[in-house]
Amino acid sequence: MRWIHKWRLRLRSLFQKSRVEQELTEELRFHLEKLMEENLARGMTREESRYAALRELGGVEQIKEECRDMRRVNYIESFLQDVRYGLRMLAKNPGFTAVAVLTLALGIGGNVAVFSLLDAVSLRPLPYSHPDRLFMLFPIETKSQRAMVSSSYPNFQDWYEQSHAFDGMAAFHEEPLNLTDTPEPERLDGLSSTPGLFALLGIHPLLGREFGPDDHQHVVLLSYELWQRRFGGDAGIIGKSIHLEGRTCTVLGVLSPHFHFPPHRWGPAPEVFVPVIPNPERGQNYLRVIGRLAPGITEQQARTEMNGIAARLAGAYPGTDRDQGIDVEPLGQYVVSDVRQTAWVLLGAVAFVLLIACTNVANLLLSQGATREREIAIRTAVGATRSRIVRQLLTESLLLAGMGGALGAALAYWTLPLVTSAVPQHTSFFTRVHDAGFELNSTVFIFTVLLSVLSCALVGLLPAWRTTKPARSSGASLRTGRIRGALIGFEVALSFVLLAGAGLMMKSLVRLLEVDVGFRTERLLTMDVNLAGEKYSSAEKQAAFFGQVLQRLESLPSVLSVGAIVKLPLTRTSSRYGFEIPGSQPRQGFAAFHAVSPNYFRTMGIPLLRGRELLTGDSARSPLVGIVNRSMAQKYWPSENPVGKAIRVYRAFVVSTAKGSSYQFKPEELEIVGIVGDVRQLGLDAPPTPELFMSYTQWASNEMALVLRTASEPFSLIPKVKKEIWRVDPDQPVTDIKTMDELVSIEAAERRFVLQLIGVFASIALVLAAVEIYGVGSYGMRQRTHEIGIRMALGARGQQIMWMVAGQNAKWLLIGIMAGVASARALTRLLAAYLYAVRPTDPLTFVAVALLLLAVALLAVYIPARRATKVDPMVALRYE
Amino acid sequence: MSKPTDLVQGTVDLLILKTIALEPLHGWGIAQRIRQVSKEVLQVNQGTLYPALHRLEQSGWIRAKWGGSDNNRRAKFYALTPAGRKYLQQEEANWQRLSTAIGLVLETS
Repeated sequence: MRWIHKWRLRLRSLFQKSRVEQELTEELRFHLEKLMEENLARGMTREESRYAALRELGGVEQIKEECRDMRRVNYIESFLQDVRYGLRMLAKNPGFTAVAVLTLALGIGGNVAVFSLLDAVSLRPLPYSHPDRLFMLFPIETKSQRAMVSSSYPNFQDWYEQSHAFDGMAAFHEEPLNLTDTPEPERLDGLSSTPGLFALLGIHPLLGREFGPDDHQHVVLLSYELWQRRFGGDAGIIGKSIHLEGRTCTVLGVLSPHFHFPPHRWGPAPEVFVPVIPNPERGQNYLRVIGRLAPGITEQQARTEMNGIAARLAGAYPGTDRDQGIDVEPLGQYVVSDVRQTAWVLLGAVAFVLLIACTNVANLLLSQGATREREIAIRTAVGATRSRIVRQLLTESLLLAGMGGALGAALAYWTLPLVTSAVPQHTSFFTRVHDAGFELNSTVFIFTVLLSVLSCALVGLLPAWRTTKPARSSGASLRTGRIRGALIGFEVALSFVLLAGAGLMMKSLVRLLEVDVGFRTERLLTMDVNLAGEKYSSAEKQAAFFGQVLQRLESLPSVLSVGAIVKLPLTRTSSRYGFEIPGSQPRQGFAAFHAVSPNYFRTMGIPLLRGRELLTGDSARSPLVGIVNRSMAQKYWPSENPVGKAIRVYRAFVVSTAKGSSYQFKPEELEIVGIVGDVRQLGLDAPPTPELFMSYTQWASNEMALVLRTASEPFSLIPKVKKEIWRVDPDQPVTDIKTMDELVSIEAAERRFVLQLIGVFASIALVLAAVEIYGVGSYGMRQRTHEIGIRMALGARGQQIMWMVAGQNAKWLLIGIMAGVASARALTRLLAAYLYAVRPTDPLTFVAVALLLLAVALLAVYIPARRATKVDPMVALRYE
Repeated sequence: MSKPTDLVQGTVDLLILKTIALEPLHGWGIAQRIRQVSKEVLQVNQGTLYPALHRLEQSGWIRAKWGGSDNNRRAKFYALTPAGRKYLQQEEANWQRLSTAIGLVLETS
């Protein structure tokens, strides 16, 4: 109750000030009159009694002032007064105000934009129930501590059954599925999972239920979006059938809108969810495993328990599980681990921009302070304390920072769509931004306010302290000169770090785009064809389709050559399968298996190193043959020629039982007939891994990517190519039509994105630094105009004057660059994840950046220095 | 009459609160009452009286109300708030303890 009373009084003092003042006057007058009455009664005259009363009471105005102090709102009052005064001051110097506010807006706006990115990518919790208890589990190679992405079905089952640290566990993998037997067949992004994934995430389907362990294989859950798009939001869809890959599947449930669970860190949101098909091979790693920690169990306890399980499994299955541990990682960290650091690095970079902006404005305020010496002297003379003046100057900085912050937030708001559109697809940035949304929310708002206050302090404290320092002699202005110089040095150092970062990124990008991918990328048109439906249920039918398509495309004019492969290089996908090398001591090996057309290597320009190519004669009726890449040959036959050797591979086939159909695997002999050169299958920056290629006629696939080497510009061929494919079968969707150069460009997209942002920041930094150096140079020259006049009158030549003026700042410039080199050496390693074939301390980049900064700075120094030499001695001498 | 004793800060508050505990009074009245009750020994400096009243009001111990005084003149009357009454009891107890303690020290030494 007391505080209500207190606040009512304060508000009254603030907003009904005249009334409160009047009451105070009246109260004191009453007291005076009483005193006077007393005095009159003692026999004084009216005049005398009045003076006596005033004497007795003491100074009425002082009492009033003391009473006002008791109201405890005088800070607010004087602050409001300062705000009004500050606004007048800023309005009087529109040029200064505009430059300062714009500079701060650039700094704050950039920070707000990048912080929104960080917020979307990594600060907001994942949209699942208690996401902090969700963990990804994956095998690691104990020797190298290298994490593997996925586990096998038998291993997953053992993990699940033997562990107590987890309440639940589920395994999943991505599985594109064709929606078939409809007028418009469509390829859908799908997710296969073991039962219970949704319960584990704490997600309840909007309609129906998720599949359980007793459901057969042919059930499906639909995403809300797919349900709306393809089934018109049919409320009675539960229990109905849809066709996936030509199989009839019963719809069990529909998920809520915006449910998003990407199978990878990045990638499209799956639209269909089906039960996983168990693969009994323990060496077949294809499942990602997620678990929910049991209550009271710590991450460390879970890790310890899982390592015990891993050791048991390694003992029991040395062929596949030897040297394998199990690691756990919080889902939140797993999802953003590769971008969180990037977001922080970007925030760090843009924080440098803000520091530079603040330095600029601080310097501006310093020169302002010099011109306001008179005003401050007068204020001091009439009794203002130093703290009062500092408070007033800081209020002005706060106004600047506040306006800068508001404009910065507006800037961020306008540029966010630009940044969002620059976020490259196929990166976790994109997925998270797409998923979590990218917006100015309350977190961002609080960040903006805090940032503005911080900038106010950064901008205002030093100038306020300097300006109010009692000037003792002209030495003060010299010291101010030193402070300005130091600020320049600071700014140059910060700019150096940003420019070095941008330089390193640029060099990596160039190096990355120069990587020998192992094939010729120019004029290669690529597209995906996925066969669906009963029509293509058998290997023969699939092979027949692709055979006809290839033949037709070969005969197209301006098509030089046509090939096909399951997964294109540079698309970050390849499936690793196990194989066995027979002998007295059979060995297990792993390689990516590819079905290709015999012409694939020639079309791509991949060289045959040994043996023979695949031939059209290698058919379903002839013995199974394969070609290995150089990496596979070197890894498994380091001192032998693998050509002519046999390995054992496992072919999958569908077994139909009463409960539904499932995949089974049967071993088969394969003879290696040739070796081809390595290509960058997984990405530009990923070193090649073992790969095995088989003819699509012997190792059929319903999904192939076609590659066409064209004689002319590839895009013009698209309509003709589609027409030829549809002549074979008009129902087949042709998707992902791209040129190989585009794929290369997508590969570099994430680095390019980071480079663009850091490049923008570095450019802003460079411009701000140049403006600053120029400004300080001009200011210094103005201050020394008188001196320059004398020197020139005494016969100094223009060049000498120029060196004198320039030299003053050159020293700080050099110090700044040296400090920049030192800081960059320490900081650029944060970029290491984005650097390719460039060391974080690449000397050439550092030298180039130093030269660039020097050139820009010298220009900024030169202009005012040059102007100094043009000074007319007579004018300069009169200048005061 | 000996020179009135100057009052240390804090004791003024206590005296004011005690004085208006009986009935609401205006500033003049408070000063007069303190002088009378203390038999002219204690005199509140009139220059510090009003800031003290305003401070007590801002702290929520007392509440001001305009009312009519003699000759029908308007004056600002101060009265204790419930919180102020509690505060007064507490301060009185403190004062008693303090003065007893000082008395003890003076007696024994």
